[in-house]
Amino acid sequence: MSVDQISSVADRPRSSADAGRTRPARRPGASMTARRHRAFYVFTSPWIIGFLLLTIAPMGYALWLSFTTFDGISPNWHYVGLGNYRELMNDSVTWDALGRAGLFAVISVPLSIIAGLGLAVLVNRPIRARGVFRTLLYLPAVVPPVGAGIAFKNVFDQNSGAANGALTFFGFDAVGWLADPYARYVLVMTVLWAAGNIMIISLAGLQDVPRELHEAARIDGASAWRTFRSITVPLLSPVLLFQTVTGMIASVQTIMPMLLAPLSTPAGLTTVPQSNYTYMIHVFSQYFALGRYGYASALLWVLFVLILIATGLIFKFTSGVVFYNVDPEAKK
Amino acid sequence: MHPRAGASLSRRRFLALSTAGATVGAAALSGCALEVSTGVGGGSGETVTMMVKADDITPELVQQAQKDTGITIERVDYDITKLIAMLTAGNPPDLVRGVGATDGAYFAARDVMQDLDPYFAKSDVLRLDDLDPVNDLWRYDGRSQGKGPRYGMAKDFSQDSMFWYNTTVFDDRDVPYPAETEPITFEEWIDNAKRLVRRSQGQTLVFGGSYSGLTRTTLLATMTASAGGSLFNDDFSKVDFTTPEARKALAWYIDYCKLKVGPSLIQPDPNGWDGPTFQAGRMAMSNSGYWLGGMINTDPKLAKVARLAPAPVFAGGARISACQGGTGLWMPRKAKNKDAAWRIFEWYFGEAPAKSRASGGWGIPTLKSLRELMPAQEDYQRRALQVQENELKHFSVVAFTPYATADAIDALFSRAAPAAMNGQMSVDTLAKNLNTVINDQLKRGKEQVG
Repeated sequence: MSVDQISSVADRPRSSADAGRTRPARRPGASMTARRHRAFYVFTSPWIIGFLLLTIAPMGYALWLSFTTFDGISPNWHYVGLGNYRELMNDSVTWDALGRAGLFAVISVPLSIIAGLGLAVLVNRPIRARGVFRTLLYLPAVVPPVGAGIAFKNVFDQNSGAANGALTFFGFDAVGWLADPYARYVLVMTVLWAAGNIMIISLAGLQDVPRELHEAARIDGASAWRTFRSITVPLLSPVLLFQTVTGMIASVQTIMPMLLAPLSTPAGLTTVPQSNYTYMIHVFSQYFALGRYGYASALLWVLFVLILIATGLIFKFTSGVVFYNVDPEAKK
Repeated sequence: MHPRAGASLSRRRFLALSTAGATVGAAALSGCALEVSTGVGGGSGETVTMMVKADDITPELVQQAQKDTGITIERVDYDITKLIAMLTAGNPPDLVRGVGATDGAYFAARDVMQDLDPYFAKSDVLRLDDLDPVNDLWRYDGRSQGKGPRYGMAKDFSQDSMFWYNTTVFDDRDVPYPAETEPITFEEWIDNAKRLVRRSQGQTLVFGGSYSGLTRTTLLATMTASAGGSLFNDDFSKVDFTTPEARKALAWYIDYCKLKVGPSLIQPDPNGWDGPTFQAGRMAMSNSGYWLGGMINTDPKLAKVARLAPAPVFAGGARISACQGGTGLWMPRKAKNKDAAWRIFEWYFGEAPAKSRASGGWGIPTLKSLRELMPAQEDYQRRALQVQENELKHFSVVAFTPYATADAIDALFSRAAPAAMNGQMSVDTLAKNLNTVINDQLKRGKEQVG
């Protein structure tokens, strides 16, 4: 049976009732396109519905709240227009917290990418028990952050922690790791500890680098470092860009300081040392300790816009150094 | 045979309809006359949602409630954010955990609590003349705490400015024990803590003492009262840390933190509370009320060396020994099963669970009639009980503002105070800063309450 024959069978009326109907003439291509469109929407609708209900609607609600003095339960809340936004512009605590979050991102993102990439290069080499090393290095990334927080609090406790145990064993004085000014270093360490996540993505990128390019470089007499710098890194640049963007977003939104806080009440969670009082801790404090839902929502919307701008800037400034094997703008 | 429309009413059908009508009428009339249940027996077969912590209602107690009252308890973990979401959605739990000293006035002022006076008036289990005065923490008349309708009840209480001490640590450092009938001064407490603390290579091996109250706000409000003043103004819309009394209290607490004799914001205890540290013999004095006896009584070794002491006073100041907690339950105004909830309320505060709590030593019972159940079998229990009974003569209520939660004021304190604790800011500057940030929060709260 030829394709034409199949088509004629499909178009045949199914019953005598159908036979009497006149159908509008349809272009064969149009029905296929419509079916494809329909299939697209049917398959994407669960995500679209979820996105509308669980992302757009809450964001819209938060935007509305940001124009009010709503505190969760009080009866007399008011519409204040841009009042919350005006307040946050003059709130030094907000800007200090944002500055700390930015500093944390600037320090932790490059360090964790370098650590993750370094580990990926190591476990990409043909060494014995490579799978075991990959698993061990990735394990911290699957530990729930709450567990990691508890572990770090215990390890770095001034009086009974293992870190100070080691220091005092060698005759050094104990350090107040979880208080200022050391708390920020512990925070960065918690991020580096979970660098296995970045390692896995980098490893996938490394395995995608064509082997013949490395072989060609070796034949040309390039050193290992030169090969890494001139071949591996450019080909990994889209992966590194992805990690930079997602890392930046995750680090400014981190609530890890809270997990290192001494108490677990809403107010207690904000009793973090000054150096770890980052933007999201400030937001949490405004929402759940002070009950300022309106102001906290304004803080979140400002953060959302700032992240959009920062992401745009990262794309703009890296457009000349990120190398795509496939042109991402090419038409399919 | 089915009666047809228009057919004459048979005698049997007439009687059936009359009975049904009488039943409905009686129910309606009783509904008009009696808006609340008479207590025992109400709500059987229903489900009551309780938002509490796991320790408040164990699975065994849930089963016992089913057996004793016929009501099923569905426990929801206490979470203030979830509670607010449920209140906002108009679907609150039937009973909610709360701290009388700080939550009572706050929620009552926002009109989300059920006035329980009609229920108390009809209850045979929770009689008004049997209620301990500490339950007045759950009263609010629209202006101040301690008066007006009752919105909740405390499950047990302690006088939270008292402290326990470990005689072994005192003996080790050759420090005389604090008297059990007369209070020491706050200055003496700090001196003792300085002598008792043991450090090595930058580590604190034994804390001299812990003194941070139930919350920093209730601690400072109580200490200001001890110094003869008041932290809040008359209508609770402002704090003033610059008055001599409040400054004295603040300076003492900052000094305590600066000396690092005990856990504080700048020297946190990883356990998060005193219990395990005190039990391990790593804390000489713990600012906890009688309730800590519940833990101490379970450890015979600790019980022999742990003693309770009265709340310290400022030299020449009044003897104030307030309850900073009074944790209990309240019923949201929009609770769905109020009668069943009240039955559980009665059972929880006046029947088997209340008796069990009273005999366990986890605080003083909030019904006077249950006092006789407080543990007094062992010498150490009788000793602690005697100190506690003597301290009750000095019980007082230090009223709290309805315009902010203790959590909110604590959060603001935690942001402002570490600089002073680290010696980078004077107490006077801190007092002014605290006035600014806390009064802003109180102002916002007052506007919200209206």
